[in-house]
Amino acid sequence: MCFKNLPIAFDEAGNAYLKEGVADPYEYKVVDLGVEQDKLKSLMAKNGFIRDVDYDPVTRVAGALAFHSVVDLEDRKVMSTNSMATLFRGYEIILKGRDPRDAAYISSRACGVCGGVHATTSALAIEMALGIKPPPLGIVMRNILLALEYLYDHPLHLFLLAGPDYSEELIAATNPELLEKAAKTAAKNESVHGYKSILDIMKDLNPLKGKLYLEALSMTRVAREAYVAIGGKYPHPQSVVPGGISVTVNISTLNEVYSRLIKFFDYGQKVTGIWDDVFDFFLESNPDYAKCGIRPATIADTGVWDRPDYYDGTFENCDTWGNARWATPGILLNGEVVTTNLRELNAGMEEFVEHSYYEKWNGQRFKTDPLGMPLSPNHPWNKETVPKPGKQSWRDRYSWDTCPTWDRMPMEAGAYARMYLTAKAQKAPASKFLENTGHGMKINVPKHRLPETTLEWKIPKDWNAFERNRARAYCIPYSALVAMENWLIAHKLIREGETKVSTPFEIPKKGTHIGFGAWGAGRGFLTHHLIVEKGVIQNYQIVTPSTLNAAPRTPWGEPGPYEEAVLNTPILENYDKPENYKGIDILRAIRSFDPCMPCTTHIMAKDTGHVVTREVTTCACGIE
Amino acid sequence: MELNKKILVGTVGYHLLSNHSVGPVLLPFLKKLDWPVGVSVEELNWGPIAIIQQFQAMETPYDRVVLLVAIERPGRETGDISLFRWNGGLPGEEQIQACIGDAATGVISVDNLLIIGEYFKVWPKEVFLVDVEPGAEKAGEHLTTEVGVKVPEILKTVQRIATGGMAGMENIEYLNGEQLFL
Repeated sequence: MCFKNLPIAFDEAGNAYLKEGVADPYEYKVVDLGVEQDKLKSLMAKNGFIRDVDYDPVTRVAGALAFHSVVDLEDRKVMSTNSMATLFRGYEIILKGRDPRDAAYISSRACGVCGGVHATTSALAIEMALGIKPPPLGIVMRNILLALEYLYDHPLHLFLLAGPDYSEELIAATNPELLEKAAKTAAKNESVHGYKSILDIMKDLNPLKGKLYLEALSMTRVAREAYVAIGGKYPHPQSVVPGGISVTVNISTLNEVYSRLIKFFDYGQKVTGIWDDVFDFFLESNPDYAKCGIRPATIADTGVWDRPDYYDGTFENCDTWGNARWATPGILLNGEVVTTNLRELNAGMEEFVEHSYYEKWNGQRFKTDPLGMPLSPNHPWNKETVPKPGKQSWRDRYSWDTCPTWDRMPMEAGAYARMYLTAKAQKAPASKFLENTGHGMKINVPKHRLPETTLEWKIPKDWNAFERNRARAYCIPYSALVAMENWLIAHKLIREGETKVSTPFEIPKKGTHIGFGAWGAGRGFLTHHLIVEKGVIQNYQIVTPSTLNAAPRTPWGEPGPYEEAVLNTPILENYDKPENYKGIDILRAIRSFDPCMPCTTHIMAKDTGHVVTREVTTCACGIE
Repeated sequence: MELNKKILVGTVGYHLLSNHSVGPVLLPFLKKLDWPVGVSVEELNWGPIAIIQQFQAMETPYDRVVLLVAIERPGRETGDISLFRWNGGLPGEEQIQACIGDAATGVISVDNLLIIGEYFKVWPKEVFLVDVEPGAEKAGEHLTTEVGVKVPEILKTVQRIATGGMAGMENIEYLNGEQLFL
């Protein structure tokens, strides 16, 4: 019984049904946020140390994110938070009425980093809706392509976006007392990365000039080169199609990929060693850092990397092929696995718009999924995107992001979620490279220039900013070795003559066909829900990782993941007067999620619903 | 054309933004022009970081780069053509970081391209922008009439800047990296 809050129960045979005797089973209470705001206003009037601290935009993240906080600079605590997606995403509207075959190409444009995952998730949604099963080599090559996308994405985040927060330059400006200690603290993983002290690492984390910053830039090239051997181009692949991929794959292609992939074996060792050293140093230097960005490990993930002998694209078998993935889908509640079934993951999803610039839609077209599990009127298959720009108010609406929940709970998403769930659930297939222990994941990294080794990511006691980034570092060798395992399968398939990479299909001109794609983005959880009617897209809904993470309050007042993580963050920065406060702890907390706003929020449909503008439409300054 | 020069003509800009997409729209026309040996014509929308990395990997660097772009600037009429020469210089480090962050996360911007190229020292001495005033941003596959009638002149200008000497560039303005983001 995985649902505690939604009115879904299961009979003895495991069939889901809507609980009986409930007048309005999906009703919910909308809390007046004004009460909290009045209280804050009165406190701020009395106490000069309680201040609005706005980050607009939050820098070193992808896209347009603003963050409002009320901070007590005397007691060093955060009192209130609001996460704001400042642009409208119009992809659901753009896709309506189009040929389903356009979806992979158009939805890919939702992000300039993870276009491949949007294209793939779109392909999966169409495969489910139209009953298309890709051939094994098509599935395997898709797996490799998307692992390579993560190998672009994770170094980018770790060293270009979040990394500077732990650099010598930034620490000198916010917590200079740490630098002397860093100089005296030996780096435990010197044999892997070559740095003698923590300060040496911090110096090379300095933006623009630090060797680690520059090396990450060059590694993004290595990943891109391998990626384009399959995808044709980056970031928007031309070869991801429903039914597989559209490029011929041969041994030369695989060799092109391999010569780049192996560089991530050494790089994975180095990066995990670097971040283990840096984060251990912070947490040992001041145990209060463990509270930076802390929240329960309440996490959702769609899983990723399909097994060619299991994946058939059908809704009927999605629990089976989902559980066979190299990364297990599911839900973690406070670190415990609640479900790994895609059907339950899907049925528990809702989106709320009480604090977002959208109109509530009417109706509930789908009362159940295709196998009879009840669906909420707020489920993506029932949702319509109706933008309603308006005045920004902390009391009412303040974001272009919606509030997605699973079983009425805000969920966190991240690259780390796929590792956490996979390690904990222990359902992924046996692998020569990966071992899931229930309390962590062992990663057997083959020899390249560095000797072979076994890395171990351990599920942490506290789920905080440091552990998010540490886990993301381990996702580099994890992704590289899933790619390697698939590379070996691809070789075997080609040797055996199974060179077909796609399955032809026709778009049915009649009837209603529904499907959903579930595939992890670089930043985690990603779903595309699709309805095809009379040969065209009747509705399309995208829920991205940052839709989950940047969510505003739930209708019943619960904060979204960024908001909660920042609320729990202590102010550990050193400042002599409030004017010099930089807010590094809050920024570390937010950036640890790897915010990627382009796919959460997008282009402003001005007047006509089609006019594109990059204008930031909101500002945190002077809002009620 | 000056002898033995290696020249790149590049187009920068998002697709489907009407006049703002003057580069991508005119790319096929530019490719069809009669270019001397040594001139290559490419779309340069695939990310400043990737472009810089390609420049860094080249054995023989370019002698001249000409970029066709469309940037809204005050005091111009839609369709006006301006010539700019890149004069080097950099903004503050935070701005450079922001440019790299934007570039690595997919933003297409000629300003970012110029700054990142300057920071990583890939630009030749001769970097020119042929900049067409696009007017207010709006969606669309096609150029408006104001820009459409200027297409022959735009193509001629790009060709002249790419293959001609420095003569005839009296009206050229200079772009400085220090001032690009003010």
